[in-house]
Amino acid sequence: MTGLTIAIAFAASCVTFACPLLLASLGETIVERGGILNLGIEGAMLIGAFSGFLGAYFTGILWVGLLTAMIGGIASVLLFGVLVVRFNLDQVVSGLAINLLASGVALYFLRVAFPGGGYPHLNFLFQPFAVPLLSQIPVVGPIVFNQPGFFYLAIVLVPIVFYLIYRTTFGLRLRSVGEDPRIASYVGINVSRIRYTSLVLEGALVGLAGAFVTLSQFNTFDTRLTTGLGFIAVSIVILGRWNPAGALIASLIFGSTEALSFWGTAFLTGPQASSLAQLLTILPYVTTLVALVVGGRMSKGPSALGAPYAKE
Amino acid sequence: MEQETQAQTQTSASPAPAPTPSSATAPDPAQPLSRGILSRSRLRSIYKAAISILLALVVTSVLFIITGANPLVAYYYMFYGAFGNTNFLIETLVRMSPILLVSLGLGIAFKCKVWNIGAEGQLYIGAFLGAETAIFFGNSPLALPASIVLAILGGMGWAAIPALMKTQLGINEVITTFLMNFVAIDLVTWFVSYPFRSTTADFPQSATIPASAMLPILIPHTRFHLGIAIALLAALPLVYFLMAKTTFGYKLRVVGENPEAAKYGGINVKKTIFLALIISGALAGLAGLFEVEGIQFSVMTSLSPGYGYTGIAVALLGGNNPIGILLSSFFLAGIYNGSVNVSIQLGQPSGIVSFIQGVLIIFVLGSEYIMRFLERKGVFKR
Amino acid sequence: MPLFNFFLVESTAKNQPIDDSMAVEDTVKEDKTQVSVSMENSNYAIYVEGITKTYSNGLVANNNVTFGVLKGEVHALLGENGAGKTTLMKILSGCLSPDTGSIFVDGKKVHIDDAMKAVKLGIGMVHQHLSLIPSFTVTENVALSIPLPGRLKLDIIREKIIAVSKNLGLEIDPDTKIEQLPVGLRQRVEIIRLLCQDVNILVLDEPTSVLTPLEVDELFRIVRGLKEKGKSVIIITHKVKEALVVSDRITIMRLGKVVRTLNASNTNERELASLVVEGFVPSTNGTKGQAGEPALIVKGLNVKGNSGRLAVKGVDFLVRSGEILGIAGVAGNGQKELVEALTGLRKTESGTSIMKCCNLANRPPQFIIKKGVSYITEDKMKRGVILNLSISDNLALKCIEQEPYSKNMIVNQRNVDSRAQDLIKRFDIKASDPCANVSSLSGGNIQKLMVARELSNGSILIIAEQPTAGLDVKASEAIHTKLLELRAKGVAVLLFSADLDEIVKLSDRIAVMYDGRIVGEFISGSLDMQRLAKMMLGSTT
Repeated sequence: MTGLTIAIAFAASCVTFACPLLLASLGETIVERGGILNLGIEGAMLIGAFSGFLGAYFTGILWVGLLTAMIGGIASVLLFGVLVVRFNLDQVVSGLAINLLASGVALYFLRVAFPGGGYPHLNFLFQPFAVPLLSQIPVVGPIVFNQPGFFYLAIVLVPIVFYLIYRTTFGLRLRSVGEDPRIASYVGINVSRIRYTSLVLEGALVGLAGAFVTLSQFNTFDTRLTTGLGFIAVSIVILGRWNPAGALIASLIFGSTEALSFWGTAFLTGPQASSLAQLLTILPYVTTLVALVVGGRMSKGPSALGAPYAKE
Repeated sequence: MEQETQAQTQTSASPAPAPTPSSATAPDPAQPLSRGILSRSRLRSIYKAAISILLALVVTSVLFIITGANPLVAYYYMFYGAFGNTNFLIETLVRMSPILLVSLGLGIAFKCKVWNIGAEGQLYIGAFLGAETAIFFGNSPLALPASIVLAILGGMGWAAIPALMKTQLGINEVITTFLMNFVAIDLVTWFVSYPFRSTTADFPQSATIPASAMLPILIPHTRFHLGIAIALLAALPLVYFLMAKTTFGYKLRVVGENPEAAKYGGINVKKTIFLALIISGALAGLAGLFEVEGIQFSVMTSLSPGYGYTGIAVALLGGNNPIGILLSSFFLAGIYNGSVNVSIQLGQPSGIVSFIQGVLIIFVLGSEYIMRFLERKGVFKR
Repeated sequence: MPLFNFFLVESTAKNQPIDDSMAVEDTVKEDKTQVSVSMENSNYAIYVEGITKTYSNGLVANNNVTFGVLKGEVHALLGENGAGKTTLMKILSGCLSPDTGSIFVDGKKVHIDDAMKAVKLGIGMVHQHLSLIPSFTVTENVALSIPLPGRLKLDIIREKIIAVSKNLGLEIDPDTKIEQLPVGLRQRVEIIRLLCQDVNILVLDEPTSVLTPLEVDELFRIVRGLKEKGKSVIIITHKVKEALVVSDRITIMRLGKVVRTLNASNTNERELASLVVEGFVPSTNGTKGQAGEPALIVKGLNVKGNSGRLAVKGVDFLVRSGEILGIAGVAGNGQKELVEALTGLRKTESGTSIMKCCNLANRPPQFIIKKGVSYITEDKMKRGVILNLSISDNLALKCIEQEPYSKNMIVNQRNVDSRAQDLIKRFDIKASDPCANVSSLSGGNIQKLMVARELSNGSILIIAEQPTAGLDVKASEAIHTKLLELRAKGVAVLLFSADLDEIVKLSDRIAVMYDGRIVGEFISGSLDMQRLAKMMLGSTT
């Protein structure tokens, strides 16, 4: 294998790893634009992945898994939504509670569904789909146009979400709620309804992100597969300035760090190779932290983000 | 009308001892304020905690029902496994110790509304740094004290990074502390897999700590080690003293309740927040060290099953107040151990602990709502 | 929540017995200037009859108000803070509902349930605190209030904005962000928004309070333009001069009642000022202390407000030990920003404030407190007390780190509690138990608590902002006595109050603050009440 082939394969891998991050951060962008900080996205992705895996495993049909993943994601995010919108509980702590809940549910029902222990396998996955013609383009082709369907979906969603946020009445109202829910309600906007809608959209996207992990990237389900992705997605939203295009760029960067840590063994040689490879696992998180330090301060999100709001 | 709109009284009972419900008589000059333990507000907090626990247990029973088990039977096994006989009881105390230490620290942080989600990572760093210090000192009598100092410094240092990011750059501490967890766990995992790996063990772990650093067992034929006594008899009273009797504790309260008024009152809000975070890091580090020196005797990747997150549930349930935290950490430790017994007896899978913690936090958050609902319906008197 | 805000902002009036001497009936005597206010005149765009509104704390904000605005008229609603003007307008615009009374729009009786209904009836209000989203453009803000489902058709809205603004001779670029616009233009956007909603009766609440003189002229031009198009404009204001300049008719309100309605052409500043601020006899002053050395010298202080514009413009004054300097003025003329700058809670752009040879400007609150400055804040709920902490804890704020309340960081709870007991007794705070939360106290007692704390810190300078707000006569007297005692002991007192009676009674010297400047000073002995009242309302004659 030539160096170029490896490089191309690695680059393609970067794009693949970016995909779930992109889907999740698009969803979180929508919700945060409405002023809600959903840290429970971590747990929602786990449940999405899990329900997706269950759906595909027990019906044998991948597309069913996709559907169940979305349902799982929506259910988790809506539970969070009820706590935060209906009962106005603290957003941060509610999100953490959801994560714990999700963790418990996943662990528990994993053993319930597969009592024997061990890690269940899927024998079929969503395979990369080579776009005719375009994937023949040297270098770029195999990297960008030979990805699982999720990726194309995610890419298409970027401009769609952009349009939704900036070019529709819903988006305008969503943003007004995120800036100042009080003023928005004065003008007659139904703050709760807007927020719930945004949460449902996020749930679907996060479910898809989770589905990607278990139905395409890996052929098994393990709770550790989605660990950290949710929080990285939240960081992506901040660094992407709450803008879908920014989310795309940031997702690619963080996807690359994930790929790097995964591919460490392929690149490193010598006696220290496996050691350094394992050390690379901290790379995505350190990168996020450094990026937050460098870029976090300048980033000013929706003014009412995370703030409690109760209908007067 | 005014009071309704402002008073969103939270679960916290005031750490300062409160008098019994007062009568209209003039206070006794010799003892100006009678200080009892069961004031009205304190009782209310206890009710709220009890309701949260009850509701959490009820919801968790759904898990049991789904797998065809009888929830009451399951809970019987759970409580037996936690408190059923002397051995189990002591084991619960053993389990309680790290939870208690972490939660005490988190109580301090939460008191001034700083959400330290990074206790898990601070625990690992403190444990590793302390253990390696002990190994360095070998069989010298300095090993134990030095390890304690380094564990505390390690936890403090690890918390200082997100603390500075918050006070100097205004970056939300929830994200930063959580990310630091991953870095910490992966770092320590790497350390004990490669540079500091034990030369004798099969699995990745650090070298075994020297005997001089192993915490002596205080109750024979059990795992009840010195660390537990230190937690109960030193850390707990110290934190209680800090929060109830010092100006720092006062500042914590004010900053947590009303940072605007704190600033108006001349309190340095940033300094208070920073100190609260690093103190909670210190306690988490100590918790990790005692697990190594009292139970595991070397740093393993499986050092903590999530005590850093349990601490969050415990601190919230205990109302950020040391006595409440003591009771809640004992309860959660019981849940941990009890669930093991449930698994053994009924074949119920793991995950119960995480689930209960999640549900518990939700109900603690909503307990004020629930309490007011019950008061309105006359279940409790206002 | 909105009711409570009203209480803080509007009502500095104490719960005094209702003044009967200027009832509506009395004005019938002077028929020539009085325009008959009755339903027979069906040219009324809006007419209200017998409106009464009492808040839950007992304050009668509107007391049998009868009032009408003609079509195509500019009508000023004139009065001091707490007169009831904003309450009346909030009723008209649907934010509040009256206890009794009827509202007629265009001759038909209506019920205005909410702001949406009001807009449908053609009534729209521009609030004092503008309700625009700063990071949105003009077009986006207008689009928020005009429901167009689906795709955001900003072009249509943009065109409407341009059409409407051209109609009025306004220049506005619809694509600028609100935060980039000066306040005067922001106000204009609010007006444009109302016009895009086809509003016929526009209510402007204290519109000139945030404008420069040039912007005020612009605003009046717009208002006249609106009138020419047949719209009715109601302007709520406390500024006599402006009411005269822009309006056709003026209604004066005081303490919840309509005093009189006059034609602007038939009256003058002096008459209006005397109607707004009733003449009164100041009660006897306490024994004067010996005014000593200056305790605080302020020179050329410039402070920016929240809008980014200067709220305090080059203020100079000094306060001596053993002296009370009262700053008279209607709220919103820069007093708040001045106090915040003096106490370290707001940045000072330029100028100095010197106490004991030390410049306090831009020092942290801790430093200023240690230097001996006490501050009774008018923001008692947000800043002055901590509701969920005990009375004891609250009383210990600011002095907890000093002996004997703590030593080496260890709190001496007994001393803290005994101080609490002592203060509760001395200031007559109705609290059964010092360990109870402050949230259990009534508003008046919370005020007493804050005053108690600030007046017993052994300070050199006391800055008192509305110290007797919400207190009854007896409690106010008690606090006045304490302030006078402290003065006799050599403490310097800087008093800010919207209650002229209080200022006159207590102060050795009175300075008047208007539009961010000190516009005049009086010594207690030679006080010209008329002049003072006029200065407060912006009149310069």
